[in-house]
Amino acid sequence: MKLEGRYARNKKTLSDEDQLKLSNSCVAIVGCGGLGGYIAEELARIGVGRLVLIDGDRLEVSNLNRQIMSSELNIGQWKVEAARDRLQSINSEVQVEEIKGWFEEEKGPELFRGVDLVCDALDSLPTRVVLERVCHQMKLPLVFASIAGWFGQLGVSLPGDFSVLRLFGRGEQGVESTWGNPAFTPAVLASLSVAESVKLLIGRMPSLRHAWLQVDLQTMEFEQFEIQ
Amino acid sequence: MRVTIKLFATFRDGRFKVEERDLPEGTCVLDLIQPLNIKPEEIAICLINGKDAKEHSVLKDGDTLALFPPVGGG
Repeated sequence: MKLEGRYARNKKTLSDEDQLKLSNSCVAIVGCGGLGGYIAEELARIGVGRLVLIDGDRLEVSNLNRQIMSSELNIGQWKVEAARDRLQSINSEVQVEEIKGWFEEEKGPELFRGVDLVCDALDSLPTRVVLERVCHQMKLPLVFASIAGWFGQLGVSLPGDFSVLRLFGRGEQGVESTWGNPAFTPAVLASLSVAESVKLLIGRMPSLRHAWLQVDLQTMEFEQFEIQ
Repeated sequence: MRVTIKLFATFRDGRFKVEERDLPEGTCVLDLIQPLNIKPEEIAICLINGKDAKEHSVLKDGDTLALFPPVGGG
């Protein structure tokens, strides 16, 4: 279905040339939960041509509080399949590739073939570090975001940077294990990730290279820190 | 010496956002976090004046220490 005017409201934020760049782009989203679902939704709506969704989980009841791809009707379905169904109903011009499995280092070259940018929406600190390493080996830009309770962190890691290693290199699990993730935190951090991703895809400078944004939704403070 | 302590995310819970403290010379990060009931292994990022620091880093007059817990959910 060709819908004239689909991207009319992207102007003048995005030029026709930018829109064309997006439609010729491919983004891999690693993790299709709270963050990954919203990231996929926004990238599909804005007109990124191809999305690779990677997640080895099925939807469960505890996902309903925050995961946009979940509904009472699709509990038990693979998260990437639920995402594909929703994305197809939003923008059938987007090519969606679902990977029902977990990201692993050795799968990188296969998973990210033809990919222009990777979004880290994982929930494991050690895997985030591995993902950055794989992205750098493949010369791929990475936009990473993480959440816990009212809080989030976000940044951009380009080949040669080690932002993720510096931020997430210590420990196995974050404070989300006790604070959980309410509805609003993934939505905010995912939107910020997509804004940085779009800049990278259309050839603009990202704002959070060699830095991270510390987000506190309890105090509504957004503070940038340098990563030397 | 005067040191500014800034806590982030869940470290603020039941503590504070920012505080100035009078501390004896030679105080290191570990000495400072103990009375705050923060364990070294709970800290993901530790910055002194915006630069990476370790638990044994010694603070100087006028320093700002910033502590962040790990935020890893998706």
